[in-house]
Amino acid sequence: MAITPLMNDGMDGAPAKRVLHSMQEQKEKGRRIVGIYCGYAPIELIQAMDLVPAVLCAFAEGPIASAETVLPANLCPLIKSSYGYILEGTCPFFGLSEAVVAETTCDGKKKMFELAAEVKPMHVMDLPQLPDEAEALVNWTAMIRKLQGFLEKTFDRRVSDDAIEASIKATNRKNRLMRRIFDYAALHPPLLCWQEMYDVGFLALPARGEEIEPLLESLLARLAVRREQGECFGTERSPRVLVTGCPVGGDALKIFRIIEEAGGLVVTPDSCTGIKSFLGETEEDTGDPVAAIARRYLAIPCACMTPNTRRLTALSQLIDRFRPDAVVDFVLTACHSYNVESHKIGRHVGERHGLPYLKIESNYSKSDEGQIRTKIEALFEIARS
Amino acid sequence: MNEEFAGIDIGSRTTKLVVVDAAGAVQRRRQADTGFEPMATAEKLLAGTSCARVMATGYGRNLFEIAFAGRTVTEIKAHARGALAFFPGTRTVLDIGGQDSKVIAIGDNGRVHRFEMNDRCAAGTGKFMEVMARTLGYAIEEFGDEALHADSDIAISSMCTVFAESEVTSLIAKGRERREIALGLHSSVVRRVAAMVGRVATAGDIVFTGGVAKNPCMRALLAQLLGRRILLPAEPQLAGALGAALLALESEKYQ
Ligand code: SF4
Ligand code: SF4
Repeated sequence: MAITPLMNDGMDGAPAKRVLHSMQEQKEKGRRIVGIYCGYAPIELIQAMDLVPAVLCAFAEGPIASAETVLPANLCPLIKSSYGYILEGTCPFFGLSEAVVAETTCDGKKKMFELAAEVKPMHVMDLPQLPDEAEALVNWTAMIRKLQGFLEKTFDRRVSDDAIEASIKATNRKNRLMRRIFDYAALHPPLLCWQEMYDVGFLALPARGEEIEPLLESLLARLAVRREQGECFGTERSPRVLVTGCPVGGDALKIFRIIEEAGGLVVTPDSCTGIKSFLGETEEDTGDPVAAIARRYLAIPCACMTPNTRRLTALSQLIDRFRPDAVVDFVLTACHSYNVESHKIGRHVGERHGLPYLKIESNYSKSDEGQIRTKIEALFEIARS
Repeated sequence: MNEEFAGIDIGSRTTKLVVVDAAGAVQRRRQADTGFEPMATAEKLLAGTSCARVMATGYGRNLFEIAFAGRTVTEIKAHARGALAFFPGTRTVLDIGGQDSKVIAIGDNGRVHRFEMNDRCAAGTGKFMEVMARTLGYAIEEFGDEALHADSDIAISSMCTVFAESEVTSLIAKGRERREIALGLHSSVVRRVAAMVGRVATAGDIVFTGGVAKNPCMRALLAQLLGRRILLPAEPQLAGALGAALLALESEKYQ
């Protein structure tokens, strides 16, 4: 018996369409849109200003050819794809956005932003990369205040700390609901498949807490029904996989699909397009909501940070919670940060958790699907033995 | 009844078949170019055998699974099993085939516990060796022997087949000795392969499988660079098919 899709709104498996639909609606209501690219964009602040954050397109192979007329070929596909969309003018979210928030994460991205700034106003935030230094918090707090100033000026409005505080609380509520949804993937077998997690995350990430809450509650109700009716994905014996690493979306979703085709279950998409963005709590009622936001965002375990020990801690927590049988580290071609860090991740996963680990280095093309499949199947052979 | 079990390794270049009896003894071995119709090739090789169970491996295994409702196993597990059949104490397997190279670490329980596979480019594969031998005017069978007879090594910097080919051509044009260029090419492949071995399994003998294992220069340089013994199976290119045949037999037995 087929399981009824979780959202069941006719757009399952096409999350971008769903979000675009909602953005257009908001735009018609007079709301203005700000583009974002990365997990460090402080969504709470943007929403407190009654602006709508739009995650810009970066996950298709298509626009890469255009990008390579300007950018070197030996660059991360996420960066090339983003820029290709900008050059071609084919990202609908970029079209709707009146400004774009960017951060100095990795080198390729920040240099690409310089070129993208020729097309649309970019506000680049200077992201500290040693998150444990005391100055990091001071500087990042200042950067968020500066972003506030930029948005106030660009969109001709003011925002109070009270409004920011309210936005923090709404986002915390949303993230808690999201974590409860992901918890259904921790069950054996899981009650959620990767496509559903991806779809819900795609919709929820840029959504305002108070506006998405009813939907998330209804999804939780549906999941409870699935549980009652014994509906699940795979079997007790299907290998459970935690996929960590670079963001996975669009054409990179092949990694999830191949895992599924090989008989596995993705139970934890541990990246910025998966569970990662919903894990943190921002401290409430601190009297300085912007500093609280800064603290939460600095804690994001991104490989751009050094040392990124938080990633190991977070990974261990996810492993304990979702109990995977294997860990796949997905590294986009030419992403040096995640590629170098994978050595530590592999060691940690093996030594601390005794789990088989596999690094997959790939891009958005289809050319290596056969090879990835072989590696994933071999990983499952190891996990089963 | 005398039952037989087959393993078929459908590689990108050649397809190999090994048939074993219920005791695991090899009864038959066949080999053919995979060609453009891998399933037709597989069918031809299997013709006349009446096996209780067939296990497919290699890049064509998933096609085989669909076409013949057969069972499959990855090259990794198949090569590990094959190497263990040749050398029961195997802990490290290095396989260099036509299009890829892989290193497999086997645990004390005889099961694969780690592997790495290079399949992103031809560098360090049989294909690379073939192209280079041809560029130097050697038959692939004599390439390693000739290289071993060189007096000194020449550093080759390109690992990409296309660039290495033009580097070799320009060395020939400069009048450099053919054998020395050959040795330089072997060294550069060995350095790359050795790094992969080091990442996966750091100590003990290495069972070398795949067609490239027949190359004496590769074996000598690897042993020298890694300071480990290189063990050569009688028919290194059949390790995958043999492993698959034995896994077919064992899956039957333990089912
Ligand atoms: S992985 Fe790092 S740089 Fe990439 S989106 Fe996430 S936080 Fe940003
Ligand atoms: S995947 Fe890596 S290289 Fe690409 S944008 Fe993210 S951090 Fe930069």
